[in-house]
Amino acid sequence: MNGFETPGPVIRLEKVTKIFNDSGQPTTAVREVSLEARRGEMVLLLGPSGSGKTTLLTLIAGLTRPTSGSISLFGKNVEEYSATELQSLRAERIGFVFQTFLLIDSLTATENIEIVLRFNRKRRAGRAGKTRALLGELGIEHLADRFPRAMSQGEKQRVAIARAIANDAELLIADEPTGSLETRQAIDIIALLHGQAERRNTTVIVASHDLRLKEFADRTLRLQDGMIS
Amino acid sequence: MDMYAIRTLRSQPLRLILTIGGIALCIVLMLFLLAVYRGVADGSVEYIRQNHADLWVLQDNATNILRGSSLISMDQINAIARTPGVRTAAPVLFLLSTIRNGDQVGTIFLTGFEPEKGLGGPPHLVWGRSPRADDEIVLDRSFALKFGFKAGEEVDLQGRRLKIVGISRGTNAFVIQYAFVTLRFARKLIGVPGLATCVLVNAEPGFGIGPIREEICDVLAGLKAYDQETFLANNVHEMQSGLLPLLYTVAVIGAIVLTAILSLLLSVNILERRKDFAILKTLGSPMAFLWGMVIKQAVLIASVSCAAALILFFPLVQVIERISPEVTTKSTVGQIGGVVAAVLLMSLASSIVAIRRLRRIYFLEAFS
Repeated sequence: MNGFETPGPVIRLEKVTKIFNDSGQPTTAVREVSLEARRGEMVLLLGPSGSGKTTLLTLIAGLTRPTSGSISLFGKNVEEYSATELQSLRAERIGFVFQTFLLIDSLTATENIEIVLRFNRKRRAGRAGKTRALLGELGIEHLADRFPRAMSQGEKQRVAIARAIANDAELLIADEPTGSLETRQAIDIIALLHGQAERRNTTVIVASHDLRLKEFADRTLRLQDGMIS
Repeated sequence: MDMYAIRTLRSQPLRLILTIGGIALCIVLMLFLLAVYRGVADGSVEYIRQNHADLWVLQDNATNILRGSSLISMDQINAIARTPGVRTAAPVLFLLSTIRNGDQVGTIFLTGFEPEKGLGGPPHLVWGRSPRADDEIVLDRSFALKFGFKAGEEVDLQGRRLKIVGISRGTNAFVIQYAFVTLRFARKLIGVPGLATCVLVNAEPGFGIGPIREEICDVLAGLKAYDQETFLANNVHEMQSGLLPLLYTVAVIGAIVLTAILSLLLSVNILERRKDFAILKTLGSPMAFLWGMVIKQAVLIASVSCAAALILFFPLVQVIERISPEVTTKSTVGQIGGVVAAVLLMSLASSIVAIRRLRRIYFLEAFS
């Protein structure tokens, strides 16, 4: 862990609304959403495509600013963080898992993981040791020198999870992490995320339309047309 | 070196090779222009540098021999020779003349001098000796190569047959080359006896050149005397003012093209990999880390291009000098180091142009 124990909820959203104003046509992606998540809790945001799940995740991570309402991240209003502080938060305390894995094609599994550790200016020897340990923990040591193009979908997602937790993230944000996986792989991956949340006391926010994930979540919130129902 | 930076470049090998090739050619151009400049600079003034006259006396409106007109009469030459403290006064007559070899006609800077005075002759001989008789000539090596003249052959100089008794170097001023004949022959050629362009003066041992110069300038009306250093500087300045602006302009164009090529490659790389950059931004990459990757790519390409340019440069110069012997080049470690340093600086400038594109890559692109 990073040693930043946050008292109270890791994230808290109060009446958050996000309106996009693309091409002069206002679109409400998230409408008056309030939620909070505590340390070690796995929250599932369940909703169909276009329900505002991804927008909500980007708001939680401080990647976009809400149109109204307030977001508290690690006990501090997101508006109070500078751009550099938010970048540091993402580098040091938040991990991301994406539907299409978003590994960098030109880097091996090891390099994909190590590049995140370089954001924290971790020394080369420390990075190598940490990466080896993660690959071992996730049972993918054999992928160390393999490029993403030579991995299965499930293997890619495991490497992506290793990358997401490499910085000992206190908050894991997963956007449709099982969306590109077959059933068996999907269950493996969500179990892996759940296990990480328990073992590392990490808060995990998962956005998905996959009902099978409900049984792994501590709490499920249904999102429809940008609202929690 | 950053593996991402290297692998991204290697992912488009043809583009990378073309870019490195284009940049390397720009560097070769810059190295070549500098080498030509140095070669011309040395060739243009080597004659003056090697003649070691204490004073160069010219008509007072002329400051140099490259682009100046000076005529000194026999009376003035004799007066200079009689000036107290003068040990040697060697008149030299410069003429533009032509030498014919079959259909080819070459223009030369014909230098008439008095061999017995030991001043005003060819600075270096690569073959043969200085002319002693009026039917002998020394040609510049580049000129001889260009027009196919061989040592010992006869040449046609304005209808007169002269035997090549020597081949000189350090006598190539790029646009024209020196040839050396006796002063007597040069005077016959123009049909004006006793005329000279300048007089090279050496002082008696222990006699300061200041009083000699004052005597020449004050007593002999219409003449001006320059010490070796000043006269050399005058000629260097004259040569630079004619040649340097052109070389600099072409070199600057080369540098701009180089910077543009590199900027283009880096920008295209960023645009093609914008999803990667969006992912890295989302994962918390500091901007400095992303800038660093682009700068590393720029420096890597510049370094490889410099190496390729240096491999190409020396054989290419040999080929050019063989095809055009009048092109004399000279490269120094300092020159090459300067170009490499300039290229590295330009690579940084290129990366700055490309880095601006990073600002327009947004987090949300990683989620799209």
